[in-house]
Amino acid sequence: MKTVKTKNVQKFTIGMKKKLVVLFILVLLAFAGLAAKLISITANNGKEYEKKVLSQQRYDSLTIPYKRGSILDSNETTLAWSEKVYNLILDAKVLKSDEKNVEPTLEALNKYFAGKMKENGIDMAWIQDYLEKHPDKSYYILAKRLSYDEIKDFQAFTASEESEGKIKGVYFEDDYIRRYPENTLACDVVGFASADNQGQAGLELQYNDVLSGIAGREYGYLDDDMKLERTTIPAVDGNSIVSTIDVHLQAIAEKYLKVFNEENKNQVHPGNGANNVGCIISNVNTGEILAMASYPDFDLNNPWDTSRLVGRPEFVEIEEKNSEGKTIVKREQLKDEKGNPIYVSQERVDEFNNSEDPEVVKQKLCNLKSLWRNYCVSDSYEPGSVSKPLTVAIGLESGKITGDEVYNCNGYLEVGGHKIHCHNTGGDGPVSVQRAIQKSCNVGLMCIANQIGIETFSKYQKNLGIGLRTNIDLPGEPKTETLVKRAGGQNGMTPTDLATYSFGQSFNCTMIEMITAFNSLVNGGKYYEPHVVKKILSSSGSTIKNIEPRLLKQTVSDSTSKKIIEYCNSVTEKEGTGWTAQPVGYKIGGKTGTAETADEHGVRNKREYVVSFMGYAPADKPEISIYVVVDRPNSVAQDNARFATFIVHNILTEALPYLGYPMTEEITEKDQKELDEFREKYGITSEQPKVEEKQEEEAAAASQDSEEKKEDTEENKEPAWKSFDVDPATGYYINPNTGNFVDPDTGYEMGASAFEDEGSDNAAKEATKN
Amino acid sequence: MARTGVNVLRRQREKEETYIDYSLIFVIFFLLAFGLVMIYSTSTYWANLKMGGDTSYFFKHQFGAVLGGIVAMLFMSYFPYGFLRKMAFPLYATSVVLLFLVPIIGKEVNGAKRWIIIPGLGLSIQPAEIAKIAVIAFMATMILRLQKLLLTPKGFGVALGFPAFLALLIRLCTKNLSSAIIVMGIAIVMLFIATPGYKRYVMAALSVLAFGALVVFIIYHAGANGNFRSERVLAWLDPQGHATGKGFQTLQSLYAIGSGGTFGKGLGESMQKMGFIPEAQNDMIFSVICEELGLFGAIAVMLMFLLLIWRLMIIANNAPDMFGALLVIGVMAHIAIQVILNIAVVTNTIPNTGITLPFISYGGTAVTFQLAELGIALNVGRNIGR
Repeated sequence: MKTVKTKNVQKFTIGMKKKLVVLFILVLLAFAGLAAKLISITANNGKEYEKKVLSQQRYDSLTIPYKRGSILDSNETTLAWSEKVYNLILDAKVLKSDEKNVEPTLEALNKYFAGKMKENGIDMAWIQDYLEKHPDKSYYILAKRLSYDEIKDFQAFTASEESEGKIKGVYFEDDYIRRYPENTLACDVVGFASADNQGQAGLELQYNDVLSGIAGREYGYLDDDMKLERTTIPAVDGNSIVSTIDVHLQAIAEKYLKVFNEENKNQVHPGNGANNVGCIISNVNTGEILAMASYPDFDLNNPWDTSRLVGRPEFVEIEEKNSEGKTIVKREQLKDEKGNPIYVSQERVDEFNNSEDPEVVKQKLCNLKSLWRNYCVSDSYEPGSVSKPLTVAIGLESGKITGDEVYNCNGYLEVGGHKIHCHNTGGDGPVSVQRAIQKSCNVGLMCIANQIGIETFSKYQKNLGIGLRTNIDLPGEPKTETLVKRAGGQNGMTPTDLATYSFGQSFNCTMIEMITAFNSLVNGGKYYEPHVVKKILSSSGSTIKNIEPRLLKQTVSDSTSKKIIEYCNSVTEKEGTGWTAQPVGYKIGGKTGTAETADEHGVRNKREYVVSFMGYAPADKPEISIYVVVDRPNSVAQDNARFATFIVHNILTEALPYLGYPMTEEITEKDQKELDEFREKYGITSEQPKVEEKQEEEAAAASQDSEEKKEDTEENKEPAWKSFDVDPATGYYINPNTGNFVDPDTGYEMGASAFEDEGSDNAAKEATKN
Repeated sequence: MARTGVNVLRRQREKEETYIDYSLIFVIFFLLAFGLVMIYSTSTYWANLKMGGDTSYFFKHQFGAVLGGIVAMLFMSYFPYGFLRKMAFPLYATSVVLLFLVPIIGKEVNGAKRWIIIPGLGLSIQPAEIAKIAVIAFMATMILRLQKLLLTPKGFGVALGFPAFLALLIRLCTKNLSSAIIVMGIAIVMLFIATPGYKRYVMAALSVLAFGALVVFIIYHAGANGNFRSERVLAWLDPQGHATGKGFQTLQSLYAIGSGGTFGKGLGESMQKMGFIPEAQNDMIFSVICEELGLFGAIAVMLMFLLLIWRLMIIANNAPDMFGALLVIGVMAHIAIQVILNIAVVTNTIPNTGITLPFISYGGTAVTFQLAELGIALNVGRNIGR
């Protein structure tokens, strides 16, 4: 049937069928060959290609920068902050994907960013060339760190109808730039951060971890199934810190350091008014640093500016092998063949700036580093007579002297075979303890020290923190332990050392050590850890942490403190050495210091001096203290404390009214004239505090205030003895200094009954006998 | 006895009348569905980027074309295929005309002018795809018309001349070498089946191979001085060396295949489709199949095509008449050539020419006409035993 039906139709022949089978076999072979090829690719190159595929993916494509926290002053004025800036990025791949966008985009770039791109050596021809050569590159920074103002016109243009959506392949990347709106102000304290947000000095370094945030990331990663996922982790901004520094007070201090420099520069040698001038103002009752300044300063926005080096002594780094064979780098002042220090001249700075010589570059860096040092914290020196109140306080507190002693000064004292001279070589005659302070009589102090003895002196000196770090929250505080000899041991303190230590020579300390110790002498004996940060704020401004004053120890008793205040107040009286420090209208107390310096080899040339003044105000009830150190003033006669007292006078004349202290002293017409001249000269426009009308009222208020404070301090005293160990048998506290029991409720010390009646000095004397 | 005979006859007739190659239909629908899935997988990234966020742009367009293609397939499977004999020359002429029109009124897509827009319908077609179906019908008609004349060199030359002219037109008017190769390939395969003897085909194949080898040799030694095509050849020989130029696509395709491993990264998990293989839904879709489904998936797809070709061979073997058999052989040749060349390009076995994978690669005209061709094959199959 089939055959019948298909007879007249041409049928597929057997030959054709065979050929079809052949064809199918050929197709089959082709498929088999291709399958084999697939298998071979996978087997031979699978791993390699897998890696290639993974390596082509962009996993770590974007880091999202964080905003570094700000540094604020005590009134939350900004000292350092991070400004958001924008990097202009060219994405050649996107731009080249549509040729018609290239021209309008380049035109827009030229219109808005030609100047900025020029700084990087980029112009339109360069971009054209780049697009031709790298059409598949997605990232090139055309301009860095543009401010919002600089990019907003471009962004508005891109978004507008005018651009017709033809601006492609150009985008902005966020970045932050560190700004210091006050420039040089508090440069040593604030410090600066590098471009990659790492603190290099000051608070920027000390609080680097607090200020740093966590960079965000937009990235791809492979999950368990080797699947590429993209995720964005936003950046966490850093926390801000609130400093105890008061910018206004800081500015006042810096202003008069500059005034000093202007008045004294180029006197003997071309250069600054002194090698270094430092000033610390602190709150004696909390340890807060209110101002910390030094001159020469530097611009935080441009710390590498070498012009600030002009007039400073030049330093060299010397590599030495120490006893253990380790190489240590010492920074030494450069001296000419006669041994005179060399000062950096403008020519030298030009050489620093223009020379490529690695030695010169090293020199430049060495000198910049010394410029960035915080003199108030990092440099040690022999404090001189400023430490005399410490010696007296040790004597009083240990009971070795009563304060009623009178010594005879012949101009020198022979100790351990050395004739040690008084400041006044002619001799001061008979001097009481108070007069020894007032006139800064070395012989008197040596006698006191002799009475105290090496052991006691050393113990109390250590208790006052001399030779110990204060642990102030600033970097670069040196270890001064080796610079102060202690009693005992082979290299222990000798009687000669004791004699010179009594007036602050032959041991070294830092400014911050000295002012911290001194604060405790005038605030009733409380030793507070100095600090410059009082609060940590989150990036949104809420308080994360308050840094409270840290009371570390009781150094002297309240009565000793009162006596020290009494003695130091006499220093600023007419016949005292610190009379010139007295600001108009105020009574302050303090102590001058004139110290000889020794070079690296311990040789004293009796020409170079460090002069200083340590003061406090108000005189009757100290609240703030000020310490000014002038390191080798540019003068023929360097041994004159007036270099320092004038600075203190100037600073306090402006600062005390600013801090709201009423004037306590009668102002004569002469005083008023002087004050008016002063105010005019230094452009002080704030209102002069009233004296006459308000005086009594104020005084009354002050006395009331001080009574209240007295109560306060008595209350505050409680923790002092409450912190003593408890005797398990009686439940009484044990005074560790005397070994006597202390009533836990009243604080009454047993076995010290004579304490209040006979005078604290006797009691203390007895106490130390134990 | 007689009653049973009648019954058997009736049953036979019913069977004859309703013969449908279900396995073929299954393979077709499987490939179509699989193709759509793969197009969606490969094109979403590209579509999102280039089509204004419409991630399913390519999927939707292909889906429409597939539906149109199914309608065409159904139509062709009922349309009496014998009629194609009368239609053969007009079809040939139409495609020639359309090809001539391409340079004049053609539409440019991605820098290539290959499309013609049909006014009023908003559809755009590729004349090259029409040429492929035309050449199948035309060659089947020619072979039957020439019959014994085919054995003479003159007759053979005439039979080869017409498709060669069409291929030349495709190459010149649409700058589409691959379609020209396919058209020639279809014609040669049909002639190979229709004429007895192997000698001349083996000779021809060897001479083509020798010529190709010579060309490659010359290009290789001429270096980079050559033109567009020679760079393709160089890139084929050393894809790593031309990684940023012509070798890029091939190299990325190889990376995709290699990184897929045995079972692949999983459907939709290709990394290479994220801009590394440009327009992965087109020619290079097979490499993404390898990457996502691994060797297993790739070989499964190849087996599907093999099954399709085998079914077409069965239909051709059992075709009720010579014309039908030749038509089916043409269809079979078309699909086999295109699949083999596509996979060969993807695996860098031959230099890169733009050849799509039937039923799977994105392309509306192609899938519509390929389905129409299969409709013809189904039509022939339906008539088996009549």
